Amino acid sequence: MQQRRKLDQKQINQELLSGNLKTPKWYIPTMIFLGFFVVTGFATILYMFNTGLGVTGLGRPVYWGLFITTFVFWVGISHAGIMISAILRLTQAEWRRPVTRAAELLTVFSLLTALFFPLMHAGRPWRIAYWLLPYDFSRGIWPNIRSPLFWDPIAIGTYLTGSTLFLYVALIPDLAVLRDRTTGWQKVMYTVLALGWRGNPRQWLLQTVAGILLSALMLPIFVSVHSIVSWDFAITPSVEGWHSTIFAPYFVIGAVHSGVSAVVTMMALMRWLWKWNNHIRPEHFDALARLLIVVATAWLGCTFLELIFSVYGREAPEIALREMQIFTWPWNLLFIIFLFTGYIIPVGFWIFKKARNNIVIMFWTSILVNVGMWLERFLIVVPGLARKQPFTFTWEAYTPSLVEWYIMIWSFAWVSFLMLLFARFFPLIPLFETKESQVFTSETKIGRATVPVIYREDD
Amino acid sequence: MVTENKESKFKWGMAVDIDKCTGCQACVLACQSENNIPINTEKNFKNARAIEWIRVERYWEGEFPDVKAKFIPILCQHCDNAPCEPVCPVYATYHTTEGLNVQVYNRCVGTRYCANGCPYLVRFFNYWEPEWPESLKNHLNPDVTVRSRGIMEKCTMCIQRIRRSTRNAKKNGEELKDGDISSACVDACPTDALVFGNQKDENSRVSKMKNDKRSYTLLDNLQTSPNIFYLAKIDHDKEEGTHH
Amino acid sequence: MVTETNNTKYSKSTRELITTTTIAPKKVTLIVMILSVLSILGIIGIVLKILNGFEDKSAWGYYAATISFLLTTAGAAPMVAIAPTIAKADWVRPITRIASLFSVVGIVTAIASIPLIFALPPLIVDETRRRSIWFEATNYSPHVWFALSIFGLTLCGLGLLYSSSIPDLAAMRDHGTGWRKRLGKSLSRGFIGTDRQWKSLKMRIGMMGTFYFLLLMFVNFLFSVDFALSLVAGWKDAIFPMYHAMTSLQSGIAICILTMFFARKYWGMENYIKIPQFWALSKLQLATTVLWFYFFYSAFIVFWYGRSASDQMVINLLIIGPYLPVFLGAFFLEFFVPWWILVWNPVRKSIPALAIVACLVLIGVLLDRIRIFVISWSTYSNEVIHKKFVPEENFPQFMAPSVADIIVFIGLVSLSALIFILSTRILPLVSVWETHQSLLLTKVVKYVRTHVTAIGKPD
Repeated sequence: MQQRRKLDQKQINQELLSGNLKTPKWYIPTMIFLGFFVVTGFATILYMFNTGLGVTGLGRPVYWGLFITTFVFWVGISHAGIMISAILRLTQAEWRRPVTRAAELLTVFSLLTALFFPLMHAGRPWRIAYWLLPYDFSRGIWPNIRSPLFWDPIAIGTYLTGSTLFLYVALIPDLAVLRDRTTGWQKVMYTVLALGWRGNPRQWLLQTVAGILLSALMLPIFVSVHSIVSWDFAITPSVEGWHSTIFAPYFVIGAVHSGVSAVVTMMALMRWLWKWNNHIRPEHFDALARLLIVVATAWLGCTFLELIFSVYGREAPEIALREMQIFTWPWNLLFIIFLFTGYIIPVGFWIFKKARNNIVIMFWTSILVNVGMWLERFLIVVPGLARKQPFTFTWEAYTPSLVEWYIMIWSFAWVSFLMLLFARFFPLIPLFETKESQVFTSETKIGRATVPVIYREDD
Repeated sequence: MVTENKESKFKWGMAVDIDKCTGCQACVLACQSENNIPINTEKNFKNARAIEWIRVERYWEGEFPDVKAKFIPILCQHCDNAPCEPVCPVYATYHTTEGLNVQVYNRCVGTRYCANGCPYLVRFFNYWEPEWPESLKNHLNPDVTVRSRGIMEKCTMCIQRIRRSTRNAKKNGEELKDGDISSACVDACPTDALVFGNQKDENSRVSKMKNDKRSYTLLDNLQTSPNIFYLAKIDHDKEEGTHH
Repeated sequence: MVTETNNTKYSKSTRELITTTTIAPKKVTLIVMILSVLSILGIIGIVLKILNGFEDKSAWGYYAATISFLLTTAGAAPMVAIAPTIAKADWVRPITRIASLFSVVGIVTAIASIPLIFALPPLIVDETRRRSIWFEATNYSPHVWFALSIFGLTLCGLGLLYSSSIPDLAAMRDHGTGWRKRLGKSLSRGFIGTDRQWKSLKMRIGMMGTFYFLLLMFVNFLFSVDFALSLVAGWKDAIFPMYHAMTSLQSGIAICILTMFFARKYWGMENYIKIPQFWALSKLQLATTVLWFYFFYSAFIVFWYGRSASDQMVINLLIIGPYLPVFLGAFFLEFFVPWWILVWNPVRKSIPALAIVACLVLIGVLLDRIRIFVISWSTYSNEVIHKKFVPEENFPQFMAPSVADIIVFIGLVSLSALIFILSTRILPLVSVWETHQSLLLTKVVKYVRTHVTAIGKPD
C-alpha cells in the first residue's frame, strides 16, 4: 500500500522549489483576492477603533461574543504545529515529513492572528497594547498576575516564540539550497537568513539536536497554552457552564482535533495548488485520519463529561442554561449542527479506508470539522453569558453585527494571505526532510512480498 | 480576598428594606443624575446597553387574584470576596480599606472580564462615546468623572459624597455621625427603604438592620460576602422569617 | 530474506520461550509458596470485613482504595500492549504478552470488588435521591452497571489475551508435552498459520483491543464517580474521571516496567526484552508523570479561584485537610521525584533505575488512591449526603488502616501476583509469534560506515 517513489535529489529540488524560483500562474490573482479582504478587514478594524465597540452586537450581559470565539478558535488551530512536528518527530513517525513545515507555519500565523483579537475586543486597545507587557508603564502599576487575561499573552507569546524558532531552525538547510540557486535581491535575502549554512556534519548535528530539544521543550507549552486560554472561562464562578474543571484537557483535545483537521485541509490545497502528487500522497491522509478518529472520540468523550457534570449538581441556573443551549431555538439547531459537523459526519466517513484515501472527501470533512469546532467555542462562550443568574430582564440574546462577521472573515483571509506570502519565498515542504526520507526508507523482499523498510539508528 | 483593615474607622455598607420599597425608581433617577450616567433611550434598552448603576427588579408572586409584586433594588454589592477583582488584567478594580469596590476609570482598558465575573450583573460598559443634549450639559456633576467609551463603570456608593463629608469633618475637626453621609439613591428614596452607613459603628442604622432577623444577602451560595444587606419582605399570608 | 540463520533463530526462540513455561526458576517456587500463604490470609481478612457488616462506610475506605489500586494498575496494563500495537509501533512486540497477561489479575479485581458493591450506599437515602450521574435511574443502578462493566472488562481482557495467544498455544501443541500439549491442542482450535487465519487473528486483536480501551475508560468513569465523587456532598469535578484514568495509565506503565525487570532477572528474558522497550516505555512514563500534574492542577485552579462553599470545601477536605501528608506523599512520589529522575537520558537507558522509579510511582499511586477513597468513604454519612456541601465539622479525622485492611491489601496484591506467575506456566512471558515477527521484520544492516536497524513496515 506504500506509494513512495524513488526520487533523486535534483528532481526533489525541482519539484519542491517550483513555487519559489518563479511565481505560479494562479498566485497573483489569489493574492489580490485575499488582499482585498485583508485591506478592507484592517479598514473595518480601524473604523471600530475610531467609533467604539458599539458597532458590534454585544450588550449586557453578553459582553464577549464573536471576537473571543474566533480568538479561541485560532489558538486551537495553532495546536496543529506541535502535534504534528514535535510529537511525530519524537515518536519517529516517517509519514510526518511533508507536512511538518506547513503545520508549524499554520501555528505561527494563526497565533499571530489570535493575538489580534484580545487587543481589538478591548474598549481601549491603544492602552492594552502595552499595559499587558510585564513592566510598570504608568504610575508604577504592574499587570495583575492573578488575572487569566495576563497569563494569555504570556502563554501565547511563549508559544509563538518557540514555534518561530522551531520553524526557523528547520528552515535553514532549505534556505541554503535557495541561496545557491537564486540571484539578485532574493539571493541577498536567502544568504542573510541561511546563516552561513554549509551542510557539514557539525552543522547537521547542531541542527538536529536543536530540533529535538525544541520539540521536547515545546510539548509542555503545547499542553499549557490552550489550558490557560480555557482557564479564562473555567475560573469564573458566576457564569453557568463555565466553572468546570474539565475545560483544560477539553480545550486541548478540541484544539488538536481542530488543528489537525486544518492541516488536512492545508495538505489537500498544497497538493492541488503546487501539484505535489509525489510528495503528498493518500497514505498521509490515511494516517492523519486514523489519528483524527482517536482524537475526535476523546473529544466527544470530554464533551459528554462536561455536559453530564454541569447538570450533576442539579442547580437551577445551570439547568436553565443547558435547556436553552440544547433545546431552545436557535441554539438547538446550532447544537445539532455542531455535533454532526464536529464528529458524526467526519468520523462516519473516516471509518472507511476508501474515504480516508480519497483526498476530496478528506478536504471537505476537515472543513466540516472546523465549522463544528468554531460552533463549539461559540456554544461555550455565548449561552453561558446569555443565561447568567436568574435576575429579571438580564437574559438577553446576542446577534453578531456585520462588523464582527467581516472581521472574522478578515482573520481567515489574513492567515491564508500570510501563508501564501511565505510559500512564495520559502518551500512549504522541507527539502531536507524529503531527501532524508529517501535515505531512511527502502524496500526489501520478505518471502514473496515486497515490504517497505525504514532505518532506525541504534541509540 | 480582603483582610480586615483595623486602621480604617469605616466599613461602608447599605441596607435595603424590601418591605418598604415601592418600586418608584426615584433612586435610579437620582443616581443617573448624580453620577453623569448617559441617557438611556429605548434603543439602548433594546440593544441591552442601558446603564443603570442601581436598577429595580420586579418579581411577581402568587396566582391571580392573589398576585403580589416585590421590588428589589440591585446595585453593586461591594463584595468583600468580589469575583470581579482578581480577573482584571490591569488592576483597574480593587477593594479599598474602607470596604468599597472601586473602579479606576483611567486605568480601565475595557476587556469586560470583570463584568463576566459579576454574578449580580451590576457592571456596565460604555459601548459608545456618551452624548448629552446641549441643554443637559450644564447639569453634569463636576465632582464625578465623565467616562469615555471603552470603559467599565458601576455604582461607587457615591464616593464623591463620602470623600466630601470625611474631608469636611476632618477640616472642621468634627466627628461624623450616622446619617451625615448618604448617597444619591438613599437621599431620593421616599420611603426610606435604602439606608447607608458605617458597619463598624454598632449603633448605626445599617448595623442594626444588618443584624435584623429578616436580613439576608443575594446569591449567598456564591459566598461573595456582599456589603449590601436586604431585609425580606413581610408577607402576612405566609409564616414569619421566610425570604424569597 | 529468509535465510538459514533466521530459521535457526526462529526455532531457537520458540524452544527457549516454551521452555520457560515448563521449568520454573528456583526462586520463583519459593516466592509462589509465600504468595499463597499471604493470599489465604488476605481472603480471611476479606471474610472478616464482610462479617463486620456494611453499615460503617468508613471501614470500607481502605478496601475501596485497594480495589482502585488493583483496577487501575492491572486493568490499565494491557493498554501498554494495545495502544502501541494500534499505532503500529515495532518496539512493543516483546512486551505485549506481559501487558496482556495482567488481564488475568482482572479476575481477582472483579471478584474482590463484589463486597465493595454491596457496601456502596443506594441512590435513595432517607427517601431522597442523592446526587449522582444516574439522575432518575433505579435505586441500584450504579451497583448493577459497575458489576456488569467490571466483569465485562475482565472478560474482554481475557478474550484479548486468548486471541493474542492463539499462535503460541499452537506452538505449545506442536512442541510441548503432556497436559500442555493437550491444552494447546484444544485452545488453539486448529491454528496453523495460513494467510486467512493470520488476517482474522489480527483483526480480532485490533477489535478486542479497541473494545478493551473503551470499556476501561467506562469502568474508570463509573468507579471514580460512583465510588468516590458522589459520596462527598458538593464535590462537583468534571475532570475527576479523566484524572483517575490518567493515573491508572501511569501505574499500568509502571507495573509493566517492573514486570519487565523481573522477567529479565528471574525468567531469563534478557535476549528478548532489551533497552529499546525500556527506552520507549520510560518516555511514556515521563509523559504520564507530567500529565499527572496537569490534570491535578486543572482541577486545583478552578477550585482555588472559586468562591462558593463547595469549591473551598473540596480543597480543604481533599488536599490540605487531615490527609495532607498522604497528599504530599502522592505529589512527590507520583510527580515530582519521577519527573526529575526521568528527564535525564542516561536514567531512561538504565534498567535498574527505571525499575526503582516504577516502584516509586506505584507507591505514589497507592497513596493517591488512599487519599481519594478513604476520604470519600469516611466523609459519607446519610445525614450529610443531602447537603449542598460537607461542613467543616463533618470532615473526617485521619484514619490509619486497620490490621484487617493491611492484611487484605497484602493478600489481594499477593493473590494477583500469584495468579500472574501461575499463568506464566502456561504462556511464556514473551510472545513467541511476536518474536518471530520481529525477527522477520528487523535486521541490522551496514550503512555507509555504521550500522542501522532496518525495520519492515508492512501495512
